[in-house]
Amino acid sequence: MSGTQSALAGMKVLEISALAGSVCGRVLADLGAEVIKLEPEGGEPFRRALPLVPTANGEESAAWLAYNHGKRSVTLDPAADEAGFAALCASADIVVTDWERLDLDTMDRLAGIARRANPALVWCEVLPFGRGGPYERYAATDTVLQALGGHLYLNGDVDRPPVRISLPVGLIQGGVEAASAALMAYWHALKTGEGQRVDVSVQACIVWTLLNSTMAWQILGLNEMRGGAIRKERANRFFTRLVWETKDGYVFFGPVGGGGGSARIKSYEALVAWMAEDGIDDPILKRHDWNGDGQFFIPQADYDAVTEVIFGFIRTKTTEELIARAVRDRILLAPISSVAGVFDNPQFRARGYFQPMEDPGRGLDVELPARWANLSATPLAALRPAPSPGADTATILSSLKQGATP
Amino acid sequence: MNDALTLVTTEASGIFAGLKVADFTWAAAGPIVTKQLADNGATVIKVESFKHPDSIRLGGPFIDDKPGINRSGFFADFHSSKLGISVDMSNPAAIEIIRPLIEWADVVAESFRPGVMKKWGLDYASLKAINPRIVMLSSSLYGADGPWARHPGYGAQGQALAGVHGMTGWPDRPPAMPKGAYSDSVSPRYALSALVAALIHREKTGEGQHVELSQIEATAQLLAPELLVYQVTGEEMTRAGDAKPGSVLHGVFPCQGEERWIAIEAVTEAQFTAFARLLEAEPAMTEARSKGPEALNAAVAALTAPHDAFALMAECRAAGVPAGVANKASDLLEDEVLNAHHHFWPLDHAEMGRLNYNGPAYRFEKTPSALRFASPRLGEHTEAVMTRVLGFGQDDIARFKAEGLLQ
Repeated sequence: MSGTQSALAGMKVLEISALAGSVCGRVLADLGAEVIKLEPEGGEPFRRALPLVPTANGEESAAWLAYNHGKRSVTLDPAADEAGFAALCASADIVVTDWERLDLDTMDRLAGIARRANPALVWCEVLPFGRGGPYERYAATDTVLQALGGHLYLNGDVDRPPVRISLPVGLIQGGVEAASAALMAYWHALKTGEGQRVDVSVQACIVWTLLNSTMAWQILGLNEMRGGAIRKERANRFFTRLVWETKDGYVFFGPVGGGGGSARIKSYEALVAWMAEDGIDDPILKRHDWNGDGQFFIPQADYDAVTEVIFGFIRTKTTEELIARAVRDRILLAPISSVAGVFDNPQFRARGYFQPMEDPGRGLDVELPARWANLSATPLAALRPAPSPGADTATILSSLKQGATP
Repeated sequence: MNDALTLVTTEASGIFAGLKVADFTWAAAGPIVTKQLADNGATVIKVESFKHPDSIRLGGPFIDDKPGINRSGFFADFHSSKLGISVDMSNPAAIEIIRPLIEWADVVAESFRPGVMKKWGLDYASLKAINPRIVMLSSSLYGADGPWARHPGYGAQGQALAGVHGMTGWPDRPPAMPKGAYSDSVSPRYALSALVAALIHREKTGEGQHVELSQIEATAQLLAPELLVYQVTGEEMTRAGDAKPGSVLHGVFPCQGEERWIAIEAVTEAQFTAFARLLEAEPAMTEARSKGPEALNAAVAALTAPHDAFALMAECRAAGVPAGVANKASDLLEDEVLNAHHHFWPLDHAEMGRLNYNGPAYRFEKTPSALRFASPRLGEHTEAVMTRVLGFGQDDIARFKAEGLLQ
């Protein structure tokens, strides 16, 4: 009986979404739910979001394709066909939506219809700031939320303005958060029959990416400062280099002073041993217990001096040489991967993370990062192409009319 | 005395009230998952080895700036509502204590380097032999197999490998390290989804299972569109500084004061016009815009510089323009929206005093989450859990102490 069915087999999800809701639906679809996109005639606006890639249909949004494969699509205007919308909700377990697709008034109106039709329904919303105050209606975008969540301030070079991560991380993280929150609410509905609304604040999702910044302020009165290649790691008061140019690229490496425990101490010992093989044995390398308790009291000048010596060594190596030795000797460094680096990463490849998706209708034959978890009894769903707008309208609506579930 | 165990076992409310979790996770990515269970009513028993406690207990910030095993705010934030026991896990006899814990549990969670649980006789096959319905979550940085499986690492390596680091910064400069061991904050959301799905499957079928997850694989989900573009067009998208194609105006602009910045993004023409009017610079901004995004951003920077960031944000909000101050940590604790949303939960800790812990990013209408008490001191609940959950007597405890299993 092992490994043949999906964890969420039988679950029906209705998705009225832009990016964030689509990501939520992506996670639920991967876990085996049947996800039905509710779209206007011609498809939802997110289908045309940048960046675009050429397909047999002309140009389509790469993000839309990446997060909407394996779903179904119904074109229906809930304002014109309230009964049809109510029938879809009556047979659904979860409805997910986000503020980039629906304004708050529409969301409220549709939630009313949906929840009257189905009291056990989980109604899940991704909002900039969540529900509960005037802030419900403040205008926001992903970049604005990266700023308000406190992450943007900490990224970038000191001699330029802070920068966002050049990915819509707030919307994507908010979408995944919504998937886990919706499943928690579904767990409750499964046990009690009680549906409810759950809302996700993208700002709060971003705050969670800081890890320890709010504690650093409360405890030490310390506001961390962004740094490009050199920064104060964790809540340290000293600067250490963390981005290193190799012969042919960049690696991340925190050889000294990160408060990382025994793995960090061993990593440094392995580095020093390797440097010694190359004849580099500058006394600064062993002048301090660089990663022990005393690390917090080492002078900045000494950190700078040891960095110079280590940098001299790293510059003579290619990224691949460094990584091979790092994996062998447990040195805590990693390549700073470009998109191609992620695509070719041997660890991802060995684990079957990328899975082929053939989409003959669009003329696409690609590999997508697919297996983000391995469930021993209920593997993630196989990849199937994304639907054209309204591809499943007739099938799904007619089965609803017959009173059967599609 | 605040009896956490009573609070957990008899007064629990929330979605996971009654759910029992044996929590072997450490560092950040794992504990953030089990925190969601604990803050929603589950009884979460964190198992630490007193010879090798959770390493983030050794990471700052420390109360009074003084390192100490029970003094890390970094650790505290991820351990609200959890009970803590400490055992010498390196002693093979520890299984005598751990076995009843596995029998008791619905979920076993762990985030060690692959191989550690097996060494202790606690891999999935062994757990399943003890408790056939167990759901096990294993979250590791690189995954359970593959050439990197045993390589040690942290989220900072994870964000580099998964591509997030490379997507941060300016295109003419080396990639700037994003704050926060980024893979540690992406993977918990995926892990929690998979774990709850496995619980739903168990509820419906009675079947437990092993959920295995790599933090870098979860994190690389963020680059799914870029990976598609790369294969279809050959273009490698990379960090773009303050540029964002498709927006009418997008940038981070200086304001009055030291390191004060505001992010503005006009997605529509109406928002652009509203912002230009608000700055009383409609003609100047329209002219600058005609010269391209760099000229526009330079013009806007000159216009925002004399403004107070928070006042300007308030004006933007009133005008419907997306705007956000680049909040510093100190700003977050005073942020009107976060506070109105009750994001922070003040909790009292015996050694650390009162601190504001981060609460969940979601809100349930009918089954509210609650951060019930502060993080456990190392081994704080060992005796209470041994006697009241696992059914050991004082004589057993004395024997375990004599054998060195307990402190």
